[in-house]
Amino acid sequence: MGRLRRRNGVQTMTLTAGSAAAPAPTFAAVAEQHLDDVYGYLLYLTRDRTLAEDLAGETFEKALRLWRRFDPRRGVARPWLLSIARTTALDWFRAEERRRRRERAAAVPDVTEAAMPEGLSPELERALLSLSAGEREVIALRVLLDLDGDETARLLGISPTAVSTRLSRALQKLEEKVRTHELV
Amino acid sequence: MSSSDVLEQLRAARPVAPSALRERVRAITASERPVRPSPFARLRSRRIALVAAPAFAIVLVATAGVIGLARSGESSRDTALNATALQEAAPPQADAQKAFPVAPGSARSGVPAPNPGRLERYEANLRVRVDDADELADATQRAIDRAKALGGFVVSLNSVVPEAGKGSAELVVRVPRERVQQAIGDFSELGTVVAQEVHIEDLQQQVDAMTDRIAVLTAEIARIERQLKNPNLALETRSRLSARLAADRRELRELRANRAATTREGELATVSLSLTTEQRAEAVPAPGRVDRALDRAGDVLAWEAAAVLLVLVAVGPVLVVAILAWLGLRLARRRADERLLERA
Repeated sequence: MGRLRRRNGVQTMTLTAGSAAAPAPTFAAVAEQHLDDVYGYLLYLTRDRTLAEDLAGETFEKALRLWRRFDPRRGVARPWLLSIARTTALDWFRAEERRRRRERAAAVPDVTEAAMPEGLSPELERALLSLSAGEREVIALRVLLDLDGDETARLLGISPTAVSTRLSRALQKLEEKVRTHELV
Repeated sequence: MSSSDVLEQLRAARPVAPSALRERVRAITASERPVRPSPFARLRSRRIALVAAPAFAIVLVATAGVIGLARSGESSRDTALNATALQEAAPPQADAQKAFPVAPGSARSGVPAPNPGRLERYEANLRVRVDDADELADATQRAIDRAKALGGFVVSLNSVVPEAGKGSAELVVRVPRERVQQAIGDFSELGTVVAQEVHIEDLQQQVDAMTDRIAVLTAEIARIERQLKNPNLALETRSRLSARLAADRRELRELRANRAATTREGELATVSLSLTTEQRAEAVPAPGRVDRALDRAGDVLAWEAAAVLLVLVAVGPVLVVAILAWLGLRLARRRADERLLERA
């Protein structure tokens, strides 16, 4: 329940052991509840809306297969889904890197078609696009999805201190990029 | 744009899944089947370990208890030793009566009687405790006197008094076999009998065989002597018969000597008397069934602990290496992932 206290919102409360009297949530309900989070996370990670959609679909297919093994009393569904999404995305990145090596493509990824969520200022969007996937990932998890330091640390497999450091550097870099783009 | 503006704008522009993706996910979730909770679903490694470790310990203890209880009836090595100690410390009647059915009462009655109709080698060992060195000297002298009075004699005497008030005397006496019971009875009265042992070996058969052989040899010697009196006997035959006569006479002499010695052996009994001032050892009470069960269970537990330790010693290093390898691989994979995300 320690994680529960750090979390906010009704979503988490309906999925945790604290609601022992409540019936176990169905996978459909969980998917509906966290679809935007998973998609947003993957969009920040990949900078590609179509790819984010594909990976999100793949994530939920995997999650459905693993749903039987998920115990709501032991954890929260959102980090669990995000960890599946992360694994799915990493698999894609690895496959993409291998494909590029095979094709001897340029090491610099093609960002002309990259896109971030709508509603961002052009400077902020460009700044976000120029960040690395790792930096965008920590911003997505801590700022966009509002995961706490411990949850983010568990998801990324690093310490909470490393999460703080990584987030601080990413935001600092983001602000610098925004200022640079504003000046340009 | 300030830092807070950036954060505010990021949160405000939170991505929303497109309707196509939503429909796709709904299609995926539509194939969801009702999950029947498996009894093993909650079995995670930590939970299994939390249950398995105490369960394993309980099984080990229960096994030890059952084995200890089942074997508590058997006489253990320690029990046997204790029994031996008790037997030594106890008066001799118990064992003597088992071996030789005699009426209880005096020590004399506990000694098997020699068979007067047959020659026997009769050997008795007697251990008698006396109170102090003065009594030891007195008892030693009385034993010698009794042996002589019974028509026997002292074969050897070895008396040791290492410190004041303490000591021991080892006597070997020979007495006529028909008086051995009286001798042992008299020796028993010198102090407290702490151990007694009697060995009887039949010699009659051996003597009878020698007597038969002597008769045969005597007859043969007489026959040869008659033949040698014939003056017409060939020289070669005479020489062969003379050699045979000499051998027979030699064998006859040896046989008669052996028979005489064996007969003397059978006529006299040997009594080894050990007089000592050593205090009687405290009798170790025989452990009860519960104590034996606990002892056995303790032994089994010790064996189980040793086996577990052995397994840990054997498997431990492999396990540590495997865990370290797994941690190293995981770390390497995470770093590779981080590098991958930095490049992406």
